[in-house]
Amino acid sequence: MSDSTIKTDAMIATQPGYEKMPSWPYFIWIIFLSMIFVTILLWVLSMLFNAPLEEAAEWAKTPNPAKAPWYFIGLQELLVYFDPWIAGVLIPQQIIIGLMLIPYVDTAPSVQGCYNYSKRKFQFLFFSSGIFLWFFLIVIGQFLRGPSWEMYWPLIDYPLGGHEWVYPGQPLKTSQAKLYSLSLPVGLTLSAIFFSVGMALPVLIFKKYFKQLGIIKYSLVAIHVLLTLGVVGKILLRLVLGIKYVIVTPWFNI
Amino acid sequence: MAANFDNRDDVSFVPSFCKKIAEYIKNTDIWKSIFRVGYPDTMPKRMAVMRSSFYMHLFPTKVGIHGMKLKYSWCMGGITFFLFLALTITGVLLMFYYVPEEHRAFDDMKDLRYVVPFGVILRNMHRWGAHGMVFTVILHMIRVFYTGSYKPPRQFNWTVGVLLLLLTLLLSFTGYLLPWDQLGFWAVTVGTNMASATPFLGYEGPFSKYLGIAIDNDIRFALIGGTRIGPNALIRAYVWHCVGLPLIATALMVFHFWRIRKDGFSGPM
Repeated sequence: MSDSTIKTDAMIATQPGYEKMPSWPYFIWIIFLSMIFVTILLWVLSMLFNAPLEEAAEWAKTPNPAKAPWYFIGLQELLVYFDPWIAGVLIPQQIIIGLMLIPYVDTAPSVQGCYNYSKRKFQFLFFSSGIFLWFFLIVIGQFLRGPSWEMYWPLIDYPLGGHEWVYPGQPLKTSQAKLYSLSLPVGLTLSAIFFSVGMALPVLIFKKYFKQLGIIKYSLVAIHVLLTLGVVGKILLRLVLGIKYVIVTPWFNI
Repeated sequence: MAANFDNRDDVSFVPSFCKKIAEYIKNTDIWKSIFRVGYPDTMPKRMAVMRSSFYMHLFPTKVGIHGMKLKYSWCMGGITFFLFLALTITGVLLMFYYVPEEHRAFDDMKDLRYVVPFGVILRNMHRWGAHGMVFTVILHMIRVFYTGSYKPPRQFNWTVGVLLLLLTLLLSFTGYLLPWDQLGFWAVTVGTNMASATPFLGYEGPFSKYLGIAIDNDIRFALIGGTRIGPNALIRAYVWHCVGLPLIATALMVFHFWRIRKDGFSGPM
């Protein structure tokens, strides 16, 4: 290699504001190394641990508990606190829509391409708590739930029992007796207060941000934050106060 | 900075006759027809090799140093794609040994474990690779969020990325049923039961009874081809897993990568 080439490389790399390097060999090298690393990791894992294979599928033999794959077990855990149409349909749908909306409501271009907490505290905290909640529910569902979706310590032997089917949405027959629901006017009033105060309060406190966002972006953000808080709130209502439904109608319950 | 890596002139430990043989091979017409640029040891050749090779031209000729740092990118997007490729290869090999038929599927799994040479490694790699891909795609999303890389002009690519996350989950979920063992069977039963609670479209969901939705015509019935997980659900999961979802995912990935090429790797403005 001639000296002039090295100079050219060095010149390109040290020019202010033009910190680029040729893809060959540096970028290709990174790709190649990570491919080898992942291949070795995958190979070693596959040598050490066998993929699970239980007995042949049998319709008549329902395991108790029957668990979803780990990435969906958070939703299954939510079945304890919500009816299936909320836990299994509405919540995942809102998660997907909410994730897709992120770049269209968080448009401030100042912080991009670097890790930054101080300039985007709210975004950081909201996203992080969402991720935390998702994995927290996965850990609970995967490791702490046993037969009839009751709480069990991990590694403990389940009591021997039959294979009676207990739908995860209706667990805990004994504790269910203690649960009660709010009457419709009370529930509606509480929800209305929660959502209207939740929508209005940040407008009054963070006037600057409200002006920056505008009414549409602000409403989208606020609704998704309130829905997330609502999920956590309903879990707490159930665990602390034994409230099964906040809103009861002839057609659906929330 | 980059120039530090360039001092590789010292190849004196290579015997001279090896160099001569290498020189001869590099001058043959066959070699030249395949490797048109030659070893890219100068800057013009490095640019040329990225442009004139089909696979290399998927990458930019130059990349920002900032985006190449491991602590910045975690390599998670690339690793996710590599796992997708590994899953495609192991998946195609698994298809040689597996028939999605109610009475045969589980026996084929047993054969893969005990009879097929390297079958157990093949299946293990597919299984752990699939779990790994779900995990790395989530990590990739977390990294992109924390670095603010969805900011303009990359908003739409984030949206496509969310769809790819969803497709990854669906790919993994449809594959879960295929071994036809108790684990997958009941996990998919639990999962698809959720669909029956869909408002308007599921037979247990709110308002569906006003639309004449019953257990044999609702959205869950369309998904699993029956009122319970059976042979129809198995072939549906198989076709979605091996053909439908990979095709959709590939189409979206092509778009995802093309947009990265056009917008460049994220970095400080």
